Amino acid sequence: MLTKITKIDKSKPELIEIQCHIVTDEVQEIVAFVKSRQGQLSCVADEKMYEVAVSDIFYIETVDNKSFVYTQGNVYETKQKLYELEEMLKEKRFLRISKSMLLNLMKVSSIKPALNSRFTAELMTGEQVVISRKYVSDLKKALKGEKAK
Amino acid sequence: MTLKEFILSRVQVFFVLVTLILLGSGILGGIYAPEQELHYYHLFSPIIIAGACILPTCVTYFKKEPTPLQYIIRQVIELILIELVVINLVSPPPEYNGSKIEFYISIGCMIFIIYMIIQVLSWLKKYKQAIKLTEQLKTFQTAE
Repeated sequence: MLTKITKIDKSKPELIEIQCHIVTDEVQEIVAFVKSRQGQLSCVADEKMYEVAVSDIFYIETVDNKSFVYTQGNVYETKQKLYELEEMLKEKRFLRISKSMLLNLMKVSSIKPALNSRFTAELMTGEQVVISRKYVSDLKKALKGEKAK
Repeated sequence: MTLKEFILSRVQVFFVLVTLILLGSGILGGIYAPEQELHYYHLFSPIIIAGACILPTCVTYFKKEPTPLQYIIRQVIELILIELVVINLVSPPPEYNGSKIEFYISIGCMIFIIYMIIQVLSWLKKYKQAIKLTEQLKTFQTAE
């Protein structure tokens, strides 16, 4: 696929246009990436498409190779893989807290101790999610403003 | 937890154990054999016992993340192994007049209390760490 960037006048709205023969998964991934950069994530719920604001997401979980997006009271499915979402959302204050979960740190109200070397993050809804011991050091780094590995 | 972190945590536990065994020996010795005189080599006993107690704690090392139940089961196994190691290492002093069973029950109870103190101290350390993380989280959330 060829790429073309054209500088336009500030009076005109910026636009990304994809010209393709077929809308493949790859094309949809590019669209989803652009939207996520703008603070939106393309999701599906009850066979309807939704644009979910990244700031509304509490956490994203993978179950049986499917990614589910959790907001206050709603659950959506997204086609993107967790590692893709992690890469896309790391600048949006999302952090991997277990093998199958990405957490929006802006939606956490407190951190509590749990068994072994784990911690529990209590969300603003009162729901609790487990921070695996493997990711505790990444959390500490993220909260200090350092980049996680 | 990496193997290095695990070994470091075992070293920490070792020193806590040495201190608490010294304390426990002092209290029990004072009750059961107050006339007993000790030699310098007796000072090595807490170190040897603590060292022997550290070995069974290796059962709590997990390469993969354990479930809470797996974790609790390993902790119970660890306590039982420590009890067995210590009971095998110590014997009543010659001047001791009470029953052997009573002596070993006292030792068992002492180990249990020490073990529980260590668990409580570890929990308090983690609790303090969680409070610090929550404070850092609040700063992080308002930093934008």
